[in-house]
Amino acid sequence: MTTETHTTLTSRGGGPRADRSFMILALAAGLLVLAVLALILITTTREAWPAFSHMGLSFITERTWDPPAEVFGALAFIYGTALVSLISLIFAVPVSIGIALFLTELAPRRLRGPAITVIDLLAAVPSVVFGLWGVLVVAPKLVPVYRWFHDVLGGIPVVGSVFAEPIGSGRSFMTAGLIVAIMIVPIITSISREVFSTVPQADKDAALALGATRWEMIKGAVFPHSFGGLVGAVILGLGRAMGETIAITLVIGGSTQITANVFASGNAMPSVIVSQIGESTGTFTAALIGLGVVLFAMTVIINTLAQAIVRRAEARMRGATS
Amino acid sequence: MTTTLERTSRGTPDLTRRALSTRRRITNQVALGAITLALVIAIVPLGLVVYSVISKGGGIMSGEFLTEDISLSVRRAGGGMGPAIIGTLLITGGAALMAVPLGVLGAIYLNEYGKQRPLARLIRMLADIMTGVPSIIMGLFIYTIWVLTFEARSGFAGALALACLMLPVVIRSTEEMLKLVPDELRQASLALGARKWRTTVTVVLPAAISGITSGSLLAIARAAGETAPIIFVVGAVNATNWNLFSGENTALPAQIFSNASQPFQIAQDRAWGAALTLIAIVLIFTIIARFIANRFAIKER
Amino acid sequence: MNRNVLSRRVLAGVALVATIALAGCGGNDDSGDTGTDAGSGSNQYANLSGELKGGGASFPNAFYTEAIAEFKGVASKLSVTYNSVGSGQGKKDFGANLVDFAGSDSLVKDTDGVPADSFLYVPTVAAPITVSYNLNGVDKLQLSPDTLAKIFQAEITSWDDAAIKADNPGVTLPAKKITVAHRSDGSGTTNNFTKYLKAAAPSTWKLDSGDTVNWPASTQGAEKNTGVAQLIKSSDGGIGYVDFSDARESGLKFAAIKNKDGQFVAASLDGATAALDGATVKDDLTYDPLNAAGATTYPITAPTYILVRTKYDDPAKKDLVKGFVTYLLNDGQTLAPEVDFAPLPDALKTKALAQLDKIQ
Repeated sequence: MTTETHTTLTSRGGGPRADRSFMILALAAGLLVLAVLALILITTTREAWPAFSHMGLSFITERTWDPPAEVFGALAFIYGTALVSLISLIFAVPVSIGIALFLTELAPRRLRGPAITVIDLLAAVPSVVFGLWGVLVVAPKLVPVYRWFHDVLGGIPVVGSVFAEPIGSGRSFMTAGLIVAIMIVPIITSISREVFSTVPQADKDAALALGATRWEMIKGAVFPHSFGGLVGAVILGLGRAMGETIAITLVIGGSTQITANVFASGNAMPSVIVSQIGESTGTFTAALIGLGVVLFAMTVIINTLAQAIVRRAEARMRGATS
Repeated sequence: MTTTLERTSRGTPDLTRRALSTRRRITNQVALGAITLALVIAIVPLGLVVYSVISKGGGIMSGEFLTEDISLSVRRAGGGMGPAIIGTLLITGGAALMAVPLGVLGAIYLNEYGKQRPLARLIRMLADIMTGVPSIIMGLFIYTIWVLTFEARSGFAGALALACLMLPVVIRSTEEMLKLVPDELRQASLALGARKWRTTVTVVLPAAISGITSGSLLAIARAAGETAPIIFVVGAVNATNWNLFSGENTALPAQIFSNASQPFQIAQDRAWGAALTLIAIVLIFTIIARFIANRFAIKER
Repeated sequence: MNRNVLSRRVLAGVALVATIALAGCGGNDDSGDTGTDAGSGSNQYANLSGELKGGGASFPNAFYTEAIAEFKGVASKLSVTYNSVGSGQGKKDFGANLVDFAGSDSLVKDTDGVPADSFLYVPTVAAPITVSYNLNGVDKLQLSPDTLAKIFQAEITSWDDAAIKADNPGVTLPAKKITVAHRSDGSGTTNNFTKYLKAAAPSTWKLDSGDTVNWPASTQGAEKNTGVAQLIKSSDGGIGYVDFSDARESGLKFAAIKNKDGQFVAASLDGATAALDGATVKDDLTYDPLNAAGATTYPITAPTYILVRTKYDDPAKKDLVKGFVTYLLNDGQTLAPEVDFAPLPDALKTKALAQLDKIQ
């Protein structure tokens, strides 16, 4: 600030060259990222190719996985991954958004720090520990719970088949889904919390001034503003759920089957890969890597769908307010 | 969302609480209760896990456990996790040093420069695809292009594999955080004469730093707990290897898994002890990182 | 646990005896061509120094790690690591020059990444694969191969099935559901178990053999031997295949299996050694003890090999490999029973030691 009557707006931060250098740096980082990711995609697909050419489209439509006979059908594992991810989202999303809301709207200032530390602690537990805890402690204890659900809901015509006979060891889609849910809560909570904290205070105050209850304020001022960010958070959580390996491997039961019964054993793609790769050779190895490629494809489809949903929702909201 | 406004006797809207309709009041209470319940629901499994780990792993914890070399034979007592602790710190640290700066810069490119241009959209799409990739695939990728090329396993290869795992998460979460920084901040800074790069570095980043830190810490915590890549790409050792680039190494998650796969009680104890150690290391690191990040943050709005 | 302390003491005793024996009979040992000076009959391994990397099968892991620990006592300057990543990965690593020797339960195929004439098989130990079960009130169980095949194919689903009753005259079997446990991870143990079923019950067993097979959906999978053991222990009516040392350590009961001669033999190291005696050894030193002949043979005995290169570029490395494998074939054989592995019969051991001479 000068003491003259006008201020000279000298450019802070060097000339245009500095700006260009920084942009090139950022661009270089972006390109490096592109190169690495593309390389992963290409190398993995190339290694999986022998299996794809051997099985053709039946790689994803065939249910049988019979390595000695060189029949590699991934359908049961695609189903397993999808089911476990779905279950984990059903449990994790409400809980995570609830925690995030609690932290931003309800919690007294002093509680915020400790609560964040609790979530960090949850994130610090390695997946193998969750897996071990899941198989040694949780699975056996959940069997009576599953049995109760089976007794109560098993008789209902269509819904009942979802809650059919639980497997004795407790190692099932449901147990895997629950364990994964616990594991993805930190990431969804963390991003949701940031998203909620950027809602303009003015909007919130306005809602309250109009006589809205706390909850109505959240519904009317916080959610519409946060929708895109929340979807981003859920997508990251889903990504983690689909890629989770060791924890699922330990608690899912290792059976190759497609069944609506969530209390039955099944298998998921990453688990199959990590379990069977050590003893595999040739086409078998290629098939296992092929499962990874299928996961790429699943992620693309889900992300594209999610982005479409976000765009439509945001357009609707923008339409309402403009 | 329309709600009927109760009116006072004078016809003006009655905004006092007693005029609130029962339905709205109950909905409010239920919703707030559910939100509080959510926190409780998260705490319960955490408490159970931590209790399990501490009760099973606390017994073996000692200074020797943290510093001594790994016992050559799984069925014998003695030895510790020293090499695994060093390995975890070196490998995860190396991965973080590669993935976090690269990821943040990449996100800066995506949000501040690239936006909706084709190149940026391609990078964004690839990052999205990669967020769901299991660690074993990353491990196999590094095995193929690095380990086989150099005919040796090393800690650095592990760091590469973990960095590949972390990168997409860091980019996408950082981009989300950068998106949340209001444009007014950028415009104000530019209006004051700052260059774009300076605006980005001194205004936008500090504004988003707490979110960026959270996202990166989550990625690091996950990487620290990964098992599969370590076994395939880093190998196994019994004595501490300080050299990240030469010679095989080991890390805590791999030790947890291999010990837990043994039928001997002493091995089980070791597994839980290693688990406790790993959780403690990650937690301490998280607390320190948040503390440092707080120093740089632009306090709220 | 008691067993740990006991086996530690016995191990110490064995090591002591071995060291004395080594010191006592200087030139008695094999391959004195290693080039390391034995130094007047004392410890021939003392001068070995450097690093040796191996990896592969997890079946013999308990034995190799124990042997490595003991070996450290006599060759203190040599550091050996064995990374149990699985036979398939071990062979890949071996072919890619990442490890100096590999452990494998299965023979090398073309797709394994190991060039055909670049390696030698060295048999090291063998061990029984138990059929462990958990059935309240039944302490002795006998099973014939056909019954076994049908159980694991989920064709027999209840413990009081006629076929099981036929194998166990006079035993009261409860009408409980059979819970079959198998490995969900690829495993040499699965490979040998299914190979056995293929050989012993060829018309009944339909699932072929391999590190992973297409188990029926009603069976349950678990990771590693310990996982299967855990599954069996926690299911009343559970049955599964677990390797001998893990089954013993987990306190499981095992069934006696009807061998080729028609005798029901329980899993034991003696039964395994009898199987090794009864097996034909090929020229490349591979052999198949599964379903071997002999009255006291335990029919589900699995072999395991170490793969060494025919030529090591680094002569020092060659000495290290020869030294370590020699140890496995001598002192290691005495060590094996302590960790629930069966040592090789003398004839095979001599051939194995001779095999080492072929390394250039």
